[in-house]
Amino acid sequence: MSVYLTQSACFLPGEPVDNERIETVLGRVHGKPSKLKRRILKSNGIITRHYAIDEQQQTTVQNEEMAVAAGKLVLERAGLEPRDIGMLAVATTQGDYVLPGFGSQVQAGLEIPRVELLTTHGICSCAMMALKGAFNAIKLGDQSTALVISSELCSRLLKRQRYEAASDSIGAQRGLDFNAEFLRWMLSDGAGALLLADKPASRGLSLRIDWIRSFSHADSYPVCMSVGNSGKGENAPKAWQDYETYAEAEIDGALLIRQDVRLLEHIVKLGVDGFLALIEEGVVDVPKIDHFLCHYSSHYFRGKIVDMLSKAGAMVPEERWFTNLYTKGNTGCAAMFIMLDEFLQSGKAQAGETVFCHVPESGRFNTVYMQLTCVEAA
Amino acid sequence: MSELQPFAQETLRGLIRTWTDFERRLAKVPVLRRLDTGTFSVQDYQRLLFNLRAQVVEGARWITRAASSFDRHHADVRSIIISHAKDEHRDYEILEQDYVRAGGELEAIQAGERNIGSEALAAFLMHQATQPNPVDMLGAMFIIEGLGEKMASSWAARICELTGLPENATTFLGYHGVNDESHMERFYTMLDRVATTPERVAAIGKTARVVARLYALQLEELDNV
Repeated sequence: MSVYLTQSACFLPGEPVDNERIETVLGRVHGKPSKLKRRILKSNGIITRHYAIDEQQQTTVQNEEMAVAAGKLVLERAGLEPRDIGMLAVATTQGDYVLPGFGSQVQAGLEIPRVELLTTHGICSCAMMALKGAFNAIKLGDQSTALVISSELCSRLLKRQRYEAASDSIGAQRGLDFNAEFLRWMLSDGAGALLLADKPASRGLSLRIDWIRSFSHADSYPVCMSVGNSGKGENAPKAWQDYETYAEAEIDGALLIRQDVRLLEHIVKLGVDGFLALIEEGVVDVPKIDHFLCHYSSHYFRGKIVDMLSKAGAMVPEERWFTNLYTKGNTGCAAMFIMLDEFLQSGKAQAGETVFCHVPESGRFNTVYMQLTCVEAA
Repeated sequence: MSELQPFAQETLRGLIRTWTDFERRLAKVPVLRRLDTGTFSVQDYQRLLFNLRAQVVEGARWITRAASSFDRHHADVRSIIISHAKDEHRDYEILEQDYVRAGGELEAIQAGERNIGSEALAAFLMHQATQPNPVDMLGAMFIIEGLGEKMASSWAARICELTGLPENATTFLGYHGVNDESHMERFYTMLDRVATTPERVAAIGKTARVVARLYALQLEELDNV
């Protein structure tokens, strides 16, 4: 059974926030401007993004509400009712509640009856896990229609109050902690939704999902991106719930979102490794890739590795890359769906073309690849 | 940048994958994991240099041996390898100075015995280098050059940061990054020249995999003599 991506939608909260206003929304920690903001923004190249919090750092829309808004829009675009959906697969890094699963909340919001439900959890790659779950269900013939939603509300982790409360964190002790601030100027909010079916849409272009593959390397490398550990090593409790009180965990910095920047280089190499593995296996043919959608900005792929890939005939030319990271921000697990939506709505895709998607997750090094073929209406 | 011919491209793709696999293995080697997790000590550094020295001493020998094993039809390749050997054949002296600056005794490191991983690595490299026209040595060079660059870009400064040692105690690790670009160009030229048949593609790839495995073994077996 072939599986088709027949419709897409996204939801981005509020107005775009530019680099000047970013700290007005997230807030200045203890009233002081960040010393690292400019440097980190320069390296990630993001110009505008959206936040689900306002200038008083109050949440304007819940994570599940964003997921529901994206889901409703995709159903509307496809002319479907909630009851037409056989499976709902939902991904997020952090739901509004710790429990229950995020998917249950989203199902309730969308009022989809008697649905087969899947919630995936992780960081950037968990959207692709949800997508693969739905893809498999249709491929097996268990379902004929599936709704896949990925939603991210991380600004609640990035607001000034979080850093101010972490009064005994590494950053508070040393005056600066690059690893705990790196993602503050990187991540933002949004949701994307994709509709899958066992046949192409009756009008417009659909994307046949040829395959989805992934390679995880958590066995080889330490944690690179996390929430739940203070970063202080063996002298501190292992995880946030091991503190006497949640308040103590927060004071110690165990609830800050951290990125071990030193380990970040590995994700580019592992991304390349998976790509080369798929070439070796014969499932990827580089010259046939017409559109390359990558969750990483192309400027991360520079220097020696690009020279090597070019020499090896495995580099997709820059003009075939499509991204909206610079204007929609890095929305974590939602980013690829939001990118796919903009790509599809842009009309750039032509029947017969090959679209290649790559989602590298630095959390503990998972790399996901997907190949799609553009097909005409059924 | 111009692309390589198809057999060289295939070889290079395989070498990049072998390198990534090697790095994955290195990340699990206890002494290097301590670099990642931030618990690496001066003693770790001394042990690392002590155990690396044998390979560096032997390195100059197998490269010159490989050069002499190329016949007159490969004189251009021989020239490149000779100049490479000349650049690096006394590197172990720099390493010894670093060891002393890190608090070690010169006599001790000079009297050091090869660990069991170093024995295997040196024996394999010397054996391969002795074969007629040992084009597969390009696989060994790719791994060892790559490691030189990794030492410079991600070990040297990190070791200073974690141990408080001065920069001049990590000159051996640090200096490999300097000529990297010209080394890579030289490497691509050789690869394009010699990776010309499926057999040669396979031979270069296999030697790279063996060297990567044995190099990691050398680091896993610190002080196991």
